[in-house]
Amino acid sequence: MTPNIVLGVFSGIAFGFIIQRVGATDPDKMARAHLMQEPQIPMFMLTAVILSALGIAGLKSAGIDTTRVLPLSLGATTIAGILFGIGWGLCGYCPGTTWAAAGEGRMDALFALAGGLAGAAVFAHLHDTLIPLLYDPYNLGQLTVADLTGSPLSAMVLFCLGLGAAVWGISAVWKKS
Amino acid sequence: MENNTKTLYWHWLAAAFALAGIIVFIFASFGPPASSSGFISLLKGAIAPLAPSYAEQNPHYAMMPGPGSWLFAFVLGMAMGGFIAGRTFRAPVRDVPPLWEQRFGNSRAKRYAAAFAGGFLILFASRLAGGCTLGLFISGSSQLSLSGLYFGVLIFGAAMVTARLVYGKTRKEKS
Repeated sequence: MTPNIVLGVFSGIAFGFIIQRVGATDPDKMARAHLMQEPQIPMFMLTAVILSALGIAGLKSAGIDTTRVLPLSLGATTIAGILFGIGWGLCGYCPGTTWAAAGEGRMDALFALAGGLAGAAVFAHLHDTLIPLLYDPYNLGQLTVADLTGSPLSAMVLFCLGLGAAVWGISAVWKKS
Repeated sequence: MENNTKTLYWHWLAAAFALAGIIVFIFASFGPPASSSGFISLLKGAIAPLAPSYAEQNPHYAMMPGPGSWLFAFVLGMAMGGFIAGRTFRAPVRDVPPLWEQRFGNSRAKRYAAAFAGGFLILFASRLAGGCTLGLFISGSSQLSLSGLYFGVLIFGAAMVTARLVYGKTRKEKS
């Protein structure tokens, strides 16, 4: 086993364990999050993003930079975001949670996983048609918040304030349970 | 029963610190983590022996490593982590989730068909965008990328509207 496989399995075990413990592998809890009945999972996700951003900025300042920013395509990212949200709202799973939920013993997650393999295979088959049609013409490039604010520090401040406000908003607006 | 288990879930803030710790570890030891890529790695491994020229020439498989990679090891690890977590802490596991049952009855076939359709959509969409909840929203936003933040707004918004359409009629009966 190469080091990458050991690292991948270890990271996956920790990740799958944590998302089960917070309830994110339960499609019922995910549906309650989407219905604004339980605020915990979206608050967990957004707070993890804020803390990860601070950690990754720390890694960068220590000279470890493995970041790779994906481009923003107004065509592909928009269509994909809406399709993804419809699928997520329908089944209560996202690609990562299907694996952890299947391991947890959820039968419907196995069907979501099988559907995911089919969806991925269909997209791969259509890649040559869809990427030039939907992605490339509307590709704005690898933009970050710093491209808007002008400096990495002001970007981080704006980012933390924005996501922090979103976490606060969710805790205020979602019904308490 | 379900109400009793609720208190056993980790607090969202503690879980957020734990998840961020793992994400930073992954960035330090590998690079941006992703989940939907693992599906492509698995498919590539399955297709390569059957149709080697298709797996080589299809640009989507060509740009992704096969199953002997961090990406596939990670999703396999997620299943192992879910298994270990499920054995040591009994969250309610139902073939047909309670909210779904209130709305559509206890038919397993209906639930499994919806799960398959939802799974199809999330992976098709992830591959179009270049990443999923983890690979684009969480990894991307943690790097302050506009694509990740924009994708996050859209997936939460569309999922909230969809959940209201799917569950709308029984929304207020429970809880």
